[in-house]
Amino acid sequence: MLSDITLGQYFPGFSILHKLDPRTKIISSIIYIVAIFVIKNVIGYALLILSALTLVFISKISLKVIIKGIKPVIIVLIFTMILNLFWTVGEGEPLVQWWIIKIYIDGIYRAIFMSLRVLVLIVATSLFLTYTTSPRMLTDAIESLLSPLKKIHVPIHDFAMMMTIALRFIPTLIEETDKIMNAQKSRGADFSTGGLIKRAKALIPVLIPLLVSSFKRADELAIAMECRCYRGGKGRTKFVKLTMKLSDYVFMTLIILFLAAVIAINYLPFGLRVGV
Amino acid sequence: MSRLELNDVSYVYGEGTPFRTEALKNIDLSFSDGKITGLIGHTGSGKSTLVQLLNGLLKPTSGKVLLDGKDIWEKPKEIGKIRFRVGLVMQYPEYQLFDETVHKDIAFGPKNCGLSDQEIENAVLEAAEFVGLDKNILDKSPFEISGGQKRRAAIAGVIAMHPEVLILDEPAAGLDPRGRREILGGLKEYQRRNGTTVILVSHSMEDMAYYCDEVVVMNKAKVLMSGCVSDVFSKSAELESVGLDIPRIAHIAKALSDMGYDLKGELYTVDGVKNAIEKYIASIS
Repeated sequence: MLSDITLGQYFPGFSILHKLDPRTKIISSIIYIVAIFVIKNVIGYALLILSALTLVFISKISLKVIIKGIKPVIIVLIFTMILNLFWTVGEGEPLVQWWIIKIYIDGIYRAIFMSLRVLVLIVATSLFLTYTTSPRMLTDAIESLLSPLKKIHVPIHDFAMMMTIALRFIPTLIEETDKIMNAQKSRGADFSTGGLIKRAKALIPVLIPLLVSSFKRADELAIAMECRCYRGGKGRTKFVKLTMKLSDYVFMTLIILFLAAVIAINYLPFGLRVGV
Repeated sequence: MSRLELNDVSYVYGEGTPFRTEALKNIDLSFSDGKITGLIGHTGSGKSTLVQLLNGLLKPTSGKVLLDGKDIWEKPKEIGKIRFRVGLVMQYPEYQLFDETVHKDIAFGPKNCGLSDQEIENAVLEAAEFVGLDKNILDKSPFEISGGQKRRAAIAGVIAMHPEVLILDEPAAGLDPRGRREILGGLKEYQRRNGTTVILVSHSMEDMAYYCDEVVVMNKAKVLMSGCVSDVFSKSAELESVGLDIPRIAHIAKALSDMGYDLKGELYTVDGVKNAIEKYIASIS
């Protein structure tokens, strides 16, 4: 049940996307997000869908997994749709007018394309950053990208280490929660029936042991790190050095070209224009 | 017919993902009523998956788990009731303690069963006695008592529900020899007095030989062999081929037999071998 959560899970593999430098992937996803939100022209949206499908294809992650990852955000998508559908005031006569509800043709377009944006945003960022990049690589990349801030005495290494540890322990905590829930279920605890308050109360026997063991784990981890003479980032060398390869530059160029293309398409004299 | 049976049960983890693993393959098994059955096998042989299937924490990918001849998943909404009848003590159960006092924590299970206050009180005291918990510990917080006592409290929490079948996943792991003896001895005593069917998962062949009536050996998601303790331990070559061992004392008995000493009896516990040697000495002198 808890292990069904795929949003934010790494799937090991050897695709082109897996092999890219994590820094490339972070920068690419930022550029890609910008591109998603500057698109106005329908042709641009078509290009966006095409690019997203290409990404899915070259990542070699099965469509099933991606669809499973989308499931938790379906509510957000529906919410986006509803908001845009009912709150967009378009030009001309509304299509439907009933009580306080007015639906314009612009509203329908917006509802479709806004939720499309959110959808592609989620699929693309999870493809770049979680499905194909291990948490370790990701924090290494963030540390490397933020390292200029060290000049003004921002403790980047410490932040990166904290993030690594936090990410590292998410699966452990999920597993542990699962275990404790199973143990309490074996003693007749019921997590799935009753009202909100009853369900919240039912979680106490899970949360207390989880909290206790988390503190214990943190303590043990700190001691283990000290035993290995960990003393922060100063003078620390890396086991895996990040290197930018030709493929990274090619990929980055493609993404920048994509952004340029999307902006250019916005200025085309034809095609339906949707979005802000 | 025995109370608890597995009928062609398979279980697969992570179906449809790159992490797909078959934890159990077509298991047919029945556990003898009113006996202690030991479940042994290597790490990853499917023991823990098997015990979670037995009380409905996991649903078999295919096949049926039968309790009194009925599929436990017949009414999925009532699976909670199955868990009162088949009690499971998970590995390292001390992590499940949460309540203010040990007493309240042991009462958590019986309370969920819907017992009356008086019944709960009796169940708690009785369970505490079987696992060897002192009365003065019952009023302490479960977070201030020692590791061994925590383990006992957690086991008592399941025993107090009076399950018809009691399953324990490595109840003595990580305890000192004395704690081991006390907990397992208490269990044996509880089993003897109530006639409960007990399933004991363990790595220790010595414990198996000493406390169990029957043994099921798991290997690579399948049942390698099952039967009474002496039958299983007589197949030492087969056990060794899958990386398991027979009790050390059984090695000694075997070596003596190979040297021509004709020993008879339970040749897999220290007491049994001692008796056999004494008998042998008496017979030749």
